[in-house]
Amino acid sequence: MIWQQVINGISIGGVYALIAVGYSLVYSVLNFSNFAHGEVLMVGAYMGFYALSALHLPFFIAVGLAVVVGGLMAVALEKVGYRPLRLRHAPTLYFMISAMGLSIFLQNFTIVTIGPNFRTYPDIFPTHPIMFGALAVGYLDLVIFVITAISLGLMTWFICGTRLGSAIQAAAYNMRVAGLMGINPELVVSIVFFLAGASAGVGGVMFGMKYTVYPWMGNLTIKAFIAAVVGGLGSLPGAVVGAFVLGITETFAAAFVSSAFRDLFSFALMILIIVIRPGGLMGVVATEKA
Amino acid sequence: MGLLRIRNMTKNFGGVKAVDSFNCNVQEGRTQAIIGPNGAGKTTIFNLITGIYKPSEGEIEFDGKTITGHAPHQIARQGIARTFQNIRLFPDFSVLENIQAADHLRSSYSLFHGFLPTPLRRRQEQASRAHALELLHLVGLEQRFGERARNLPYGHQRRLEIARALALEPKILLLDEPAAGMNPEETQGLMVLIQQIKDQFHLTILLIEHHMELVMGLCDFITVIDFGKEIAEGTPEQIQANPQVIQAYLGVEE
Amino acid sequence: MFVYLQGIITLICINLLAVLGLSLLTGFTGSFNFGQAGFLAIGAYVAALCTMKLHAPFVVSLLAGMLASGLVSIPLGYPTLKLKGDYFAIATLGFAEAIRLLVENLEKVTGGSRGIPSIPPLTTLTILLPVTLACIWLVRNYVSSRHGRSCVAVREDEIAAQAIAVDVFKYKQVSFFVNGLLAGLAGGFLAHYVGFIQPSMFGMAKSTELIVMVIFGGMHSVTGAVVAAIILTGLPEILRAAAAWRLVMYGIAVVFIMVVRPEGLMGSWELTFASLRSLCLSCKAFARRLYGRCFHGIA
Repeated sequence: MIWQQVINGISIGGVYALIAVGYSLVYSVLNFSNFAHGEVLMVGAYMGFYALSALHLPFFIAVGLAVVVGGLMAVALEKVGYRPLRLRHAPTLYFMISAMGLSIFLQNFTIVTIGPNFRTYPDIFPTHPIMFGALAVGYLDLVIFVITAISLGLMTWFICGTRLGSAIQAAAYNMRVAGLMGINPELVVSIVFFLAGASAGVGGVMFGMKYTVYPWMGNLTIKAFIAAVVGGLGSLPGAVVGAFVLGITETFAAAFVSSAFRDLFSFALMILIIVIRPGGLMGVVATEKA
Repeated sequence: MGLLRIRNMTKNFGGVKAVDSFNCNVQEGRTQAIIGPNGAGKTTIFNLITGIYKPSEGEIEFDGKTITGHAPHQIARQGIARTFQNIRLFPDFSVLENIQAADHLRSSYSLFHGFLPTPLRRRQEQASRAHALELLHLVGLEQRFGERARNLPYGHQRRLEIARALALEPKILLLDEPAAGMNPEETQGLMVLIQQIKDQFHLTILLIEHHMELVMGLCDFITVIDFGKEIAEGTPEQIQANPQVIQAYLGVEE
Repeated sequence: MFVYLQGIITLICINLLAVLGLSLLTGFTGSFNFGQAGFLAIGAYVAALCTMKLHAPFVVSLLAGMLASGLVSIPLGYPTLKLKGDYFAIATLGFAEAIRLLVENLEKVTGGSRGIPSIPPLTTLTILLPVTLACIWLVRNYVSSRHGRSCVAVREDEIAAQAIAVDVFKYKQVSFFVNGLLAGLAGGFLAHYVGFIQPSMFGMAKSTELIVMVIFGGMHSVTGAVVAAIILTGLPEILRAAAAWRLVMYGIAVVFIMVVRPEGLMGSWELTFASLRSLCLSCKAFARRLYGRCFHGIA
């Protein structure tokens, strides 16, 4: 029984990790919280849903589609809603408001056009569990875990192992100086958003497969933020750690206390971390240069 | 007896020692400068004094009281005012409002008066407005009192920032590169202004500067730092002759 | 017709109270509050319960709702206002969700998702209108006082504000508390006007509506908030057919405003005698020029 909850926790933690990493990436480079991030997840989920149920595409093509669409959409959102503000050096507050606007638009556009009904993914994978010794792991959960691990691995490789990734890290540290060093800030921003959108797209498909698809899925952004805070806002490994911690503890709270209070628990966890250790588990301290 | 005394102040950022066992005494009534190459830690020292950063080690004493670890607004209230390297005015406020925002001595009415138009409030607002106009007159900006601060030319913005700092009626004024970006004429004007306000308000001045004419022309005492440590201290003549200073700034001649 | 108009004005006033608080907190002090609906909910439920279970007089219920909402802001604000704005924004978002969840699940007290029905319709314009006008007056005074200046300083540049001895944390707390009071009051009035309350009334859509009003009208102007509340409450009532698309339009409008004119409709313009006079003068000057040009053109 406990084991099943751990599996569930890791499963949802993986989805959270995919969203949180994208969120943290944008935060560390551009220093603002992209509240519209969740909507990319939603689009990815719907994309995957249609690819699988209407177009009957093979699974990996569907995931690939969600990745590409998610990435492109994130870049498009950036150009429309954030770039003009960036060029004007607008205060962070304006970015948050613009993000909110994008989020509202996308959520409600989906409600009005596609409809507010919940959709479920078709059953692609066998529903019987796989046995590891005496422990049963759902086939679906295993798939989710593997895909999450691969996605995070690819992202890590890209950011730590390639030149472009180093450019992003430099920009995350100091955008202006990186620009002076010959790094094209527009390109960096576009790539960052593409990566964030791509991982959100995958996350959306994973979430849709395990649970359901609905227009206000984007509210998972809150979970992404909480995960990032728990791990340490601005730290990418922190986002992953925080996501799994959140996923597991939240699942346990839901199972052994009350499922209705799952979200309440996550919120309380965030407040707790903020009070006890604002830098998160990885201890990130963000100071503003005076 | 120093007005501002800094003892063995160290500041670590992760693995970097930005300020290393820094010691400094600022005597009351002096005009003192902290100079050093870029990245030496000068602005960090200002930020430590004004409470934006907390020192990792060491102590800061102002007017006989310890201010180490106090909140920035409390330190400002004690009588330490500052300007910033990258001018931090309130862009949306008018020139006048920028100054009034800092005047807590003339307008100090409580929240209660904030919600209701009482006579006390009206009187204090008038006093603060008059005081602000006085300060603007001092820096030559009183004609532009209604303009948005962000529309002022650069040199005027710097003057406004100084006037705003003066509104606090401080005992010591910390100026962070006040002459940055100024041509020789403007720098001269600034030097005259600094001397003027020092005399008029009996201020102690501590400044960070790269313009050597200003430093040598205005200051009684200079502290030189490099890599977060002080490497020399003394009068302008002593500093100009100091070989370590020359080495730090200009490199050693082969 | 008259009753219909009364209804719209009532709704406008209720929204206005909530928007006033938001204008102060988000507009003037710069702390982005995503979850205003949560405070409305607290005010509404506490006031309704006081009237129905404790049989308290209307004024007492309203005060109880106000205070409950205001007091909640204290523990919520304490850890979150010390940190960057992002934390506060998410905390308020989470808070609104948490309140909705709590309300839905404490069925014995709050009636769960069915809510509290049959609340006596005690909200009348004779009480609401003067209270609303008084609140507008009080907030206007606050904003034009030295405290208002300190709030704006906090918004514009926290570090500079601290350097001029402004206690940034305190001012954020005060704005948050006042916002709580006003939203709680709005909630109390709302409960006793609509006659029933349900958690679904206090969701993201409501928070969004209110924030959009502040953005639309101009975050730096109380007059703007008032005008926006009037327009954006009245308009949907008239255009009721397009309800579903309303939020879609809001989303586009918000992004558009941020990109094109973040100051909103009014910018920092406030309705005062001085500003009215200067508006009249510039209108006269414009008219005179137009008149001159017409006649010169003809002659």
